[in-house]
Amino acid sequence: MLAYPLIAGVLFGLYFSLLGIGLNLVFGVMRIVNLAHGDFLMLGAFVAFGVFYLLGLDPLLAVPLAFVLFVIVGIVLYGLLVPRLQQSRDPEMLSIILFFGLSQVIEALVTIAFGTSERSIPSRELGSLMTAAAKALGAKPEGGPVDILGQSFPAAWVISAVVSVIAIGLVYVYLYRTRLGTLTRAVMSRRDEAFATGINVDRVCAAAFGIGLGLAAIAGVFAPFMFGSVTPAFGADATVTAFVIVVLGSLGNPLGTALGGIVYGICYMLVQTFLSSWADLLPYVLLIVVLLLRPSGLLGRKVRVA
Amino acid sequence: MPSFVRHMLLIVAPLMAAFAILPGVYDNHLLLFNFVIFLILAQGVNIIYGFTGYLPFGYVGFFGAGAYGFAIMVMHLQAPAPLAVLAAGVVGVLLGLLLTPLLRLSGAYFAIANLAAALAVLHFVANPALESITKGPYGVALNGTFNPTLAYIGAVIILALTLGFVVFLRNSSFGMALQAVREDAVSAAMAGVNVVKMRVIAWLVSALVAGLAGGVFAWYVSVFYPDNVFSSDFSIFAIVFALFGGVATIMGPIVGVIILYGIYNLIGFTTPQYFQLIYGVLIMALVLFLPAGLVSLATRRGWNVP
Amino acid sequence: MLRKAITAFGLGAVMGMALASPVLAADAPAEIKLGTLYASSGRYASISMPVHAGLKLWVEQKNAEGGVYVKAFDKKIPIKLVAYDDQSNTATASTLYNQLITQDKVDLFVADSGSVLTAPAVTIARDHKMFLFDQTGTGGSFFSKDNPYIALMSDPVSTIWPKPIADFLTKDGPALGIKRVAILYSTNEFTGTQANSLRKFIKDANAPIEIVYDQGVPTETTNYTVILNNIRAAKPDAVIHLGYAPNDIAFLRNVQDVGIKFNMLFCIYPGLETELLEKNVGAKGLQHVFTYVPPSEMAYPVNFGMNIADYKKAWDKKYADGKIEFGFNAVAGYTTALVIEKTLSVATSLDQMELRKAVFSLSGNLKTLDGTFALDETGGQIGELTPLGQLELNDHGHIKFVAIYPHEVATGKPVYPKP
Repeated sequence: MLAYPLIAGVLFGLYFSLLGIGLNLVFGVMRIVNLAHGDFLMLGAFVAFGVFYLLGLDPLLAVPLAFVLFVIVGIVLYGLLVPRLQQSRDPEMLSIILFFGLSQVIEALVTIAFGTSERSIPSRELGSLMTAAAKALGAKPEGGPVDILGQSFPAAWVISAVVSVIAIGLVYVYLYRTRLGTLTRAVMSRRDEAFATGINVDRVCAAAFGIGLGLAAIAGVFAPFMFGSVTPAFGADATVTAFVIVVLGSLGNPLGTALGGIVYGICYMLVQTFLSSWADLLPYVLLIVVLLLRPSGLLGRKVRVA
Repeated sequence: MPSFVRHMLLIVAPLMAAFAILPGVYDNHLLLFNFVIFLILAQGVNIIYGFTGYLPFGYVGFFGAGAYGFAIMVMHLQAPAPLAVLAAGVVGVLLGLLLTPLLRLSGAYFAIANLAAALAVLHFVANPALESITKGPYGVALNGTFNPTLAYIGAVIILALTLGFVVFLRNSSFGMALQAVREDAVSAAMAGVNVVKMRVIAWLVSALVAGLAGGVFAWYVSVFYPDNVFSSDFSIFAIVFALFGGVATIMGPIVGVIILYGIYNLIGFTTPQYFQLIYGVLIMALVLFLPAGLVSLATRRGWNVP
Repeated sequence: MLRKAITAFGLGAVMGMALASPVLAADAPAEIKLGTLYASSGRYASISMPVHAGLKLWVEQKNAEGGVYVKAFDKKIPIKLVAYDDQSNTATASTLYNQLITQDKVDLFVADSGSVLTAPAVTIARDHKMFLFDQTGTGGSFFSKDNPYIALMSDPVSTIWPKPIADFLTKDGPALGIKRVAILYSTNEFTGTQANSLRKFIKDANAPIEIVYDQGVPTETTNYTVILNNIRAAKPDAVIHLGYAPNDIAFLRNVQDVGIKFNMLFCIYPGLETELLEKNVGAKGLQHVFTYVPPSEMAYPVNFGMNIADYKKAWDKKYADGKIEFGFNAVAGYTTALVIEKTLSVATSLDQMELRKAVFSLSGNLKTLDGTFALDETGGQIGELTPLGQLELNDHGHIKFVAIYPHEVATGKPVYPKP
């Protein structure tokens, strides 16, 4: 009884980490609250729809495509929006409104182009190119369930958990093993000092913003498999969930998000098991409790004031 | 003439007069009522955000709690509507007290924790386990108290009281001290300002007016679901309106509501398509080109805006 | 100063707040104004747009014929559709509803789709003494004996939807070997009320049926893997899942993904929005699923308006881009339109109480593609029932409906247990 929700929580939690990590990168580097984060997830899902329905290919191929596409979109959007925003008196708060506006625009454009209905992709199509790999993981072909410790889980969960781990690993490599990543961490910890030492802060930030949106789009590719279906209005709820995960882990620490996601996933699955009608209350209560006990999140530095 | 009296005479009194006369010349009373509601909520946001810097992203929590406070008083205690509205205000304050520890958080942490709190209250109220008290997800229908004229008058009175408090903040040492806290909490504390107590007062007043607004809203609409009165649109609209006009002033939020909510309704009444797109673009343009709000147009020229 | 302001306000209010009452037209108007809302975006867009599209199709069709026959003036008059976009926002919806009545002075007042967006219209209609054509807002709190200004057009009130499921389980179930039932529902008005009624129907029947699992989950739930595992542990013979379309999509996909087999599985939307569910779940995932049989599969004999085949043809012609699926909601919007058309052809004036009288006079007599229109005394819809059916695949792998209960409409026998 307990093993099932625990394993499910870890699998789903890893995906939740991917869902939040882009948001956290953007906030950590720029102190920008990207309220349109969920809408970029939704756009990622539409990239997957395009890859599958227009090109007839394995939706997993949408992962690199969505990433590259939205890194570019992110860098362009950064140039258009952020420098102007940073000139204002309270950019952190104003970003909330700016990106709320952006989320409205994205939802409206997608609705105009594709209508409002639910869309998805059949589960067995995910990883169809890698049936062999799926077999190695213990799945039957045709996208059947995967056995873990004698319990069966959707293959899509396992695939997305694996992709999440890889993506989080790459974020780690980027932040700790590349020059741009080191500069990114410098900007994250001390923005003004980074400026003073001659770092091209704009370049660092544009890259972080692009990568943040790219990661959101990757998470979006899996959204039709993890949430059943996606509509243009999907973004708002996804943004709130992403926030909860990010704050649980700690705002501004992308790697804390991995922990936040798993904690969230496990708690959600446990409540769904034992008190299912309260399942949506828990994450918020959990968030508030964590914030009050450890205001900076599970892995954060001190941010409390007064 | 002291500036307090001048502000009451020149701003509050004409506004009240306008809302007294308008129902006679314009028939869409609900539009006028919603204007009053958003004026109250925008000023409520102004009280807490404008004067202390805490952005209440889940402000609708107080509003919805107030609406349900009203409904419970009427359904279970057969209270007369005006008394139930007062009770709605008390519910708002009680929820505010419960959430006071959130004030220990700063910046985006507070905003997100407040959002989580509002969602938690929503899921609590809407849970079927509470059906005997709140009617859970099945919605309330309050036919006995329905009286749109009195509800409108009640809303205008609440607006007058709210404005009175903002005028007081703007013209008192209390308000000055709050703003000093916003700019630099440490120096203000050293100068002998009781930072915590003052913030809590502003927070509770802000919760009170939202609770009262929720109460009259419930009185006016009579039939509603949790999703109706806890809709995050209320928070987002109130924040966007207040910021657009310019916070920490009396006029800013008023101008913001009248212009932005005016445009919103104009688009809604005239443009059958692309409503959301136009509004989203408008909001983005405002943040990018008028980041300090409309009043900044005047203050930039050196005019003093009350 | 404050007191002065309040006094000034009070005077103004007394002078100004007398509400305008609806005006009776004396001469034939150039057009009949039909006012309604739709949600082009947000949470309720996917249920609102097909309903609105159905209504719009009718308006254009009738206007192409020169209008609808209005008995009050004994001539054909074109319909002017006044429709605003509420964006799923309830405060906006209430303002716009009021705008329709007070500024546009519409003759016919039609709600948006679904209970949440219909709720604000109920009070407003009553306040302005306008008769509300409630399209699909099934909320029990809308209908009461003291409110004459509402009737439900296109689907039955939530409480009577699950009657055929309960009857099948309690009357035919024991013989088939169904003894243990699991109920899983989304906690909102539409599906929560159905769960409550189903539970009550089963208990009242005193049949040897035991409810072994009975849980509500938040409507936002889109992941059922853990819950499915719990349901499996309760060893039910029949699983009744009551949720909205996104819930059903996620639920049925999870059932496939995890590889669970239930002997009997009921979901609402495979029947109501078959096209949508087939796109999202796949035909195989819907095979042997029990569901409500929608009017589009029953081919009800009509005595007014297009039958289902003609309507589907007209729909496919008008909405060829496929952005809006044809399903239950598409039929619902058109059904509302037919009730309105018939009402105008019998009402002797456009007075709102006369409209109400005309609508109620259709009860039991009007047979549309949605079935027989029948109202109870509060305006709740008690006709247009949806029988219990089961989805099977035909030889080409396409979905087909088999009606199962009540027996008089049955077109086949249930496949139980699921092979």
